[in-house]
Amino acid sequence: MRNTKKVAKWEIKRNMKNKTFLIGLFISPILFLAFYLIPDLFNNSDEDAVSTTVFVNDQLGVYENLEMTVDQAGAEWELQPTDSSEERAEEALESEENTAYVFIDERAFEGGVLPVYQSEEISPVFINEVQLLGAPLQAMQIEELGLTPEEASVIARGVVFEDASAAANAETEMGTGMDEDLMKRMVPGIFAAAVLLSIVFTGMAIFQSASQEKKDKIAEIILSSLTPSELMQGKIIGYFVLGIIQVLVFIVLVLPVLVWKIDVPILEYLFVPELALLLFIAILGYLLFAALFVGIGATMADISTAGNFQGMIMMLPFTALIFVGPVFSDPSGIWAQIGSYIPFTSPAILILRLTLLEEWPWIEIIIALAILIVSVWVFMKLAGKIFKIGILMYGKNATPGEIWRWIRA
Amino acid sequence: METMLAVENLGKSFKDKKIVSNISFEVKKGEIMALLGPNGAGKSTTIRNIMGIMYPDEGSITFQSNPKKGIPRNKIGYLPEERGLYKNVKVMDILLYLAELKDYPLDRAKERALELLKKFDLEGKDKVSVEELSKGMGQKVQFIAAILHEPELLILDEPFSGLDPVSQELFKNEIRGLAQNGTAILLSSHQMNLVEEMADRLFLIHRGTKVIYGPLDDVKKQYANFKCTIHGVNERSLLESLPEVERVEQNEETAVLYLSKDVEPASWLKNLPVQLDVQELSIDRISLHEIFIDIATDKNLLKREESLDA
Repeated sequence: MRNTKKVAKWEIKRNMKNKTFLIGLFISPILFLAFYLIPDLFNNSDEDAVSTTVFVNDQLGVYENLEMTVDQAGAEWELQPTDSSEERAEEALESEENTAYVFIDERAFEGGVLPVYQSEEISPVFINEVQLLGAPLQAMQIEELGLTPEEASVIARGVVFEDASAAANAETEMGTGMDEDLMKRMVPGIFAAAVLLSIVFTGMAIFQSASQEKKDKIAEIILSSLTPSELMQGKIIGYFVLGIIQVLVFIVLVLPVLVWKIDVPILEYLFVPELALLLFIAILGYLLFAALFVGIGATMADISTAGNFQGMIMMLPFTALIFVGPVFSDPSGIWAQIGSYIPFTSPAILILRLTLLEEWPWIEIIIALAILIVSVWVFMKLAGKIFKIGILMYGKNATPGEIWRWIRA
Repeated sequence: METMLAVENLGKSFKDKKIVSNISFEVKKGEIMALLGPNGAGKSTTIRNIMGIMYPDEGSITFQSNPKKGIPRNKIGYLPEERGLYKNVKVMDILLYLAELKDYPLDRAKERALELLKKFDLEGKDKVSVEELSKGMGQKVQFIAAILHEPELLILDEPFSGLDPVSQELFKNEIRGLAQNGTAILLSSHQMNLVEEMADRLFLIHRGTKVIYGPLDDVKKQYANFKCTIHGVNERSLLESLPEVERVEQNEETAVLYLSKDVEPASWLKNLPVQLDVQELSIDRISLHEIFIDIATDKNLLKREESLDA
């Protein structure tokens, strides 16, 4: 165990002194922030540019109501009262940009149509946005008719057509999914998924580290001081810590921005007991893939000569993507269950399901975890056998047949 | 002298092929014991079995007469034949890591590393990345790594391969110095001239089995008979008829006469016939190098393959 720790410490130190790793460490959170913030930046400037000055010639005394409506709708308007006549407005508009004149008078009750004059340069959505002003005016119309408040509200509600199929319903739920309950489950789920992704990606470097050991021909020198399993375990633990460091960098850089930008008490939702189980699943997932990578890495002379067999194993962590669609549409369905019981897909699928599901299917979770734990144990044993022989095989890649023989030995 | 390593009846096969069989030898404190043999004779396999990198099928390997304790990895220094260093790390970092794996105190390791780097003409290279070193410099760093933790037993597999003569001399002196200070050294090589200069005892291995085992001087006395090289045009039958000649190798105008073990060079020379054409004549002992070549090419110049007493 002491030797394992020394190897882990060395792997961490070696990577932390490596420029490529350091750049990688910061580049992913920075990219994330960039993708998150830059569209935001453009949006804001766009809206600034098309902020429209709207002059209202109000003959009916509804200006305050209009102001409220515009505020609520969040339209980028600058509302200003004016006495200008329609002719004068037309003249003024010739030399203006992003400006409109709205005339509110008796015509609202007579024909229900009010004139709007706009400058040539104006946001294309303005003419749609201006319809907002219809609501308070319609309210006035109804008032004029002298209906009872009940009658008034019936008319004001209008008639709406709504898609009633199940999928659409689910979608609406997802759409309005920013509701508190879902957020509560999403936050720890997303966090656990980020941890899983981060440590599995960092873990892929184990594969390179194991084959590097052979390429640099240092394996035999190292193995004169410790056993192959100590070396293997040291690598797995070392890269786990590196993955966690990646997560920490992510948290330090990204979390403050998210807390500032998203109006959800993220921290409060994050540190809940459920998080412990989700993280446990993420760690099991890491151990499974780490065992695969370290074993396969030891069979290869060089990463660039990876054969089909090795390449296929490298793809295993991504098989979970096959299940993502079906699981989203039905988190308790048959596909979701199958995904939970296959060790390679189980970590990602479990985390996804536990995030989507309100009621956790404990029996399924326990079975899935049992399968996962047994698989981790089995794969660690197999990786140990492959590593022990593979690490000393110089200059060529092992064939699947050879690997099979080592496993049986 | 205390025995640091004892190998008894070691045997190892890969698949159905026997790589080494019935190998037995000892390495004692303060001696240089050479393991010799042509490529593929089983030297590295023997050493890997000693280091626990492979597991022997037969026989036993004992360290310091203590068969129960496993391999005292901390007390062994090992320079494998297939060797290298991590590329993108600093020289000092890798030296300290390897010393740490041997449980050697860090501050001592640092001090010794600087001393040794200086000794091997690598002063100031401690902060340089390994990939910037030349091949020879890399070899030196690997050698330093093998001896940094003051091992009691040092195992060197082909330590001179790829070294220039100056570095070879440096390594030779260092290895001799270590042996004088009491380190037991097992050295494998196929460079016989170097071994001849350094080794106290040798074990010659061919096709995985023992050919010769014993002190270097005894081996020479026993196996290295005199040979006489004559330049001149002579009939082969004449040469073969000379007394004490066991074998003749003739090549145009040069003939090599292998003489019997008990020949007295002075009286043998006196009795050479006058009709012998001699442009040039030299007489010397068969070198270790020739013995080696002889065995490796199966000429069986040496008829006796029984061992000397060690």
